[in-house]
Amino acid sequence: MNSDVKTIFSSYHNNAQLFDEVFDSNGVAKNVYQKLLDLYGNHSIQEYVQLNNKAKASFFNQGITFQVYDNKVTQEKIFPFDLFPRIIDEDEWEIIEKGAIQRSKALNLFLWDIYHDKKIIKDGIVPLDLITSSANYLHQMIGVDPPGGIYNHISGTDIIKHSDGNYYVLEDNIRCPSGVSYVICNRTALKRALFGVFNHYKTHSVTNYAENLLEILESVKPKGVDVPNCVVLTPGMYNSAFYEHSYLAKAMGVELVEGRDLFVENDFVYMKTIRGPIKVDVIYRRVDDLFMDPLEFKPESALGVPGLFAAYRKGNVCLANAPGTGVADDKAIYTYMPQIIKYYLDETPILNNVHTYHCSRPDELKYVLEHIHELVIKPVDEAGGYGISIGNRLTKDEIKVVQEEIKQNPRKYIAQPIMSLSVHPTYIDDSESFEQRHVDLRTFTLLGHEKEFVLKGGLSRVALKRGNLIVNSSQGGGSKDTWVLKK
Amino acid sequence: MLARVANNLFWMGRYIERAEHVARYLNVNYFSSLDAPNELSQSRQFVLRSMMFFVGEPIVDDSVILKEEDILYNIGLNPDLPYSVINNVKSARENANSARDLISTELYESINKFYHFVINYSVEDFTKKGLYDFTVNVTEMTAILRGKIRGTLLHDEVYAIIMLGINLERATQVIRIINAKYNDAVRAKGSYGDKIGHSFEWITLLKCVESYDMMRRYYKKTPTSISTLEFLILNPDCPRSVINSINQVHKHIRVLDESKTPNKNSTAFLISKVKGEYEFKYAEEIEEDIQEFIEKILDNLVQISLKMENEFFNY
Amino acid sequence: MHQEPHEMSFEYSITYKAENEYENPVENASWQFLIVPENNDTQELMRVDIKNSLGAKNEFSENGYGFRTVRINTLEKFQKLNFSATFKLKKKSFNPFGQVPIFDIASNYELVQSLYFKVDFEPFLGQTKFTTLPQASINLFVFDPALSIFDNLQKLNTWVYQFIKFNTGVTHVNTLLKEILENPEGVCQDFAHLFCALARANKIPARYVSGYLHQGNGYFGDSQMHAWAETYVPQVGWVGFDPTNNLLVDDNHIKVAHGKDFNDCSPLKGVVYSHGANKTSHSVEVQAQQ
Repeated sequence: MNSDVKTIFSSYHNNAQLFDEVFDSNGVAKNVYQKLLDLYGNHSIQEYVQLNNKAKASFFNQGITFQVYDNKVTQEKIFPFDLFPRIIDEDEWEIIEKGAIQRSKALNLFLWDIYHDKKIIKDGIVPLDLITSSANYLHQMIGVDPPGGIYNHISGTDIIKHSDGNYYVLEDNIRCPSGVSYVICNRTALKRALFGVFNHYKTHSVTNYAENLLEILESVKPKGVDVPNCVVLTPGMYNSAFYEHSYLAKAMGVELVEGRDLFVENDFVYMKTIRGPIKVDVIYRRVDDLFMDPLEFKPESALGVPGLFAAYRKGNVCLANAPGTGVADDKAIYTYMPQIIKYYLDETPILNNVHTYHCSRPDELKYVLEHIHELVIKPVDEAGGYGISIGNRLTKDEIKVVQEEIKQNPRKYIAQPIMSLSVHPTYIDDSESFEQRHVDLRTFTLLGHEKEFVLKGGLSRVALKRGNLIVNSSQGGGSKDTWVLKK
Repeated sequence: MLARVANNLFWMGRYIERAEHVARYLNVNYFSSLDAPNELSQSRQFVLRSMMFFVGEPIVDDSVILKEEDILYNIGLNPDLPYSVINNVKSARENANSARDLISTELYESINKFYHFVINYSVEDFTKKGLYDFTVNVTEMTAILRGKIRGTLLHDEVYAIIMLGINLERATQVIRIINAKYNDAVRAKGSYGDKIGHSFEWITLLKCVESYDMMRRYYKKTPTSISTLEFLILNPDCPRSVINSINQVHKHIRVLDESKTPNKNSTAFLISKVKGEYEFKYAEEIEEDIQEFIEKILDNLVQISLKMENEFFNY
Repeated sequence: MHQEPHEMSFEYSITYKAENEYENPVENASWQFLIVPENNDTQELMRVDIKNSLGAKNEFSENGYGFRTVRINTLEKFQKLNFSATFKLKKKSFNPFGQVPIFDIASNYELVQSLYFKVDFEPFLGQTKFTTLPQASINLFVFDPALSIFDNLQKLNTWVYQFIKFNTGVTHVNTLLKEILENPEGVCQDFAHLFCALARANKIPARYVSGYLHQGNGYFGDSQMHAWAETYVPQVGWVGFDPTNNLLVDDNHIKVAHGKDFNDCSPLKGVVYSHGANKTSHSVEVQAQQ
């Protein structure tokens, strides 16, 4: 290689204020990345761009895209993807994995309790208001025993590495967490582009997700069913996550159904096939609670199946995740996770929680209103990074607006210190070079009847705008392949 | 398999096949007319009218002067016209999208590439200089799709349903091409003393369905109306013949309906009946009233398709 | 409530009819009727006869709160559905005042303030779309702590009865309390919502009840399904109040279902794949034989 060619890291600016996952404060690459940099660091920017374009084309041809409407023209775009992988060594991963399982189990016990005796409330640990004021709390679920005793079969836990070097959980997503198909696609793209690097690392496979998901779904079959018929229920091909739904159905070898493919008769669910009706036993549903059954919830929903909830209450079909799980991924409940883990499991949390101020508590509300400039303000019931205000980015006038909104509806907001997410070298098109970008990690945890699984890997999401802390794809975030190393 | 998805796969097959035939019709008629042996067959207006006839929008008024660029654009890339190649490809992909979990990644990737090729094709290039490139690519890409369908799918119900769509559409398109070229032969008759039976249009017709070479090898003579009809309708060994398609349809319906003696109201029964009827036809009989024959067989094909919808795709 | 042995009982015959007509043919529809009387301490369902004009199957199922429903899925295109249900029911005769104990007033109020009580009765203590009082009306009826909860509820019953003027055609199924408070006219549904809202504002669990009313005695309730409320009275249990008629619920009330508000008890829910206008009419007839 020509020595005066600009290599990919020759102009990398290592800001010592930030926690860089690849380079230490002296600019020396950390152990796990050493081999990657040896193999890869000598590439010129041009070579890198070529590889990156190849990977992008691979996404495009596979139709792993979303649509953008601009001037009446539909454009297809791929989710921004960065070829430089994130590597997590075995010891760190063990903490994440154990922590994720611990949280999933605690949340499941919490949901059971909330929809049965509500002991945790009666014991004064979680306030009643937090439950009853949650838009995701379903009275219809009170007293219902989900097959196998599981509510949150699939959890997506968003984790960050803080500048103190520790992992913190930002939130638990237990409604319909998405993104797992991108983990698998990122890996495919990376293998195609960087096969030369791959065989130098012992990386855990991520393609076993689907088989584990199927086992989990089969483990929660309704009583009396021998070999359950599992399906994936999608809102349809215009849903932004349709690719993921079809991927999962295909990888599990089960049918991908829409609401109109199903019907309920005598409280059993059937799908309409070319050979007539076939009974359905387990539904991995990617349709929101309130759209599942127009006779029980939103009557105008065209995505649902009339009578589905009645079949579920009778125990004739299993829904994963269970209806009403959203009450536990409310951001205000998040703040009680350490107590919830202690209460049900009698354990201390393996993964840290970010300290949280509840605007519903008068003394904490006062603190929040006075310290907005150093806090992140989050609405408790929004997903996808919507409605978040980051205090030190706000003008004085904007702070006033936020203060007013919080005062109007304190229960709707929580506040957390601005966490300094770690950064990872990310290729930036505009500057044609690598720059530090904030990154988080969404892990995927499966919980079944006497079975649990954490995908060894995950979706590392990068905020592509410089300095941006919000990594959600709906807010312009990209993603990276994440390698978990074998022992 | 879900009834809705089966319907989508059936139509995916049909649209792929339809896109191919429309593209090839443009290609063959345009390029063979350039050095056709008589003036009328060479005439731009004559060729453009033939194209419009084929897509089902015949221009009856002789005084209308057609603009080549408009006609090519409309049939090739106009997204607002249901018969255009671009719309057929869009529909094929849309149907593939909703059945994505059932088809192979390889097949989906090929359909997707095909789609992006077509929707990104510059209209200006196409109407000015790209006709050959575009149509050849479309026909080649559909051949790749057929290869992927055959080579990367399990030969089960999914495959049978796609093949039913492909073969019903192929039979329909071949009949429609015969109809269009017969119409051309009738119109070209006066211009060059030749009888209809020996029209140049029969050669074009055979080329439109990629059967000219096979036909020459089989008959070792210049095609006539009788030999062309015989070859394209009745020869079971010709992969583009109507009877070959019907035989395929017959074979694939047996995957969906395994009963030994199909019910008299079933699709399988109707297909067997149609098959039996055409197995014992002969070309002279068809030529006697070709118009009636065409209408009848098109009706048979529509009836088969409707029956399939009712029996298997009704959701 | 506990019943004395050998008391009298009535037999009721109830007929519910619904007629739905659509401007354009409907391809596909599902309906859910919540009209079947429940079996409880005071009533026993003996016979159910259900018919629909489409020849579709009448399927029995349950709604999200465990009450019996009848569901119909259509098989073919149609424009009109006639539905009728006849129930034969045995109702025990009882005196609602019969079991009123001597209340320990102080401990009852203490109980309703306790966390356990609030948690257990949480579904019937909160505000819903139809039971939300405008901020200014929260204290419209404040319980007198010197009186028992039961006595306060009776007063509330009378208060609601006097506050709203019974008048059909002013309100509809989506009328909110805000509108009732501005113009206090309405039907049983509005009476029941206001009663529930004010009971809950005083920390007493209250649930909306739908059912049939035997009108032999000249009560209000028109020829539609009736609505009233049940509240949880410590030392007694759930007690029914009919604010439309200023009554305690008695043997003329035949309960179908309860819920947080009308939304949970709507007698007919439908998903109809059609466009254009539609007309729906219901009628109810209750006859008694002793």
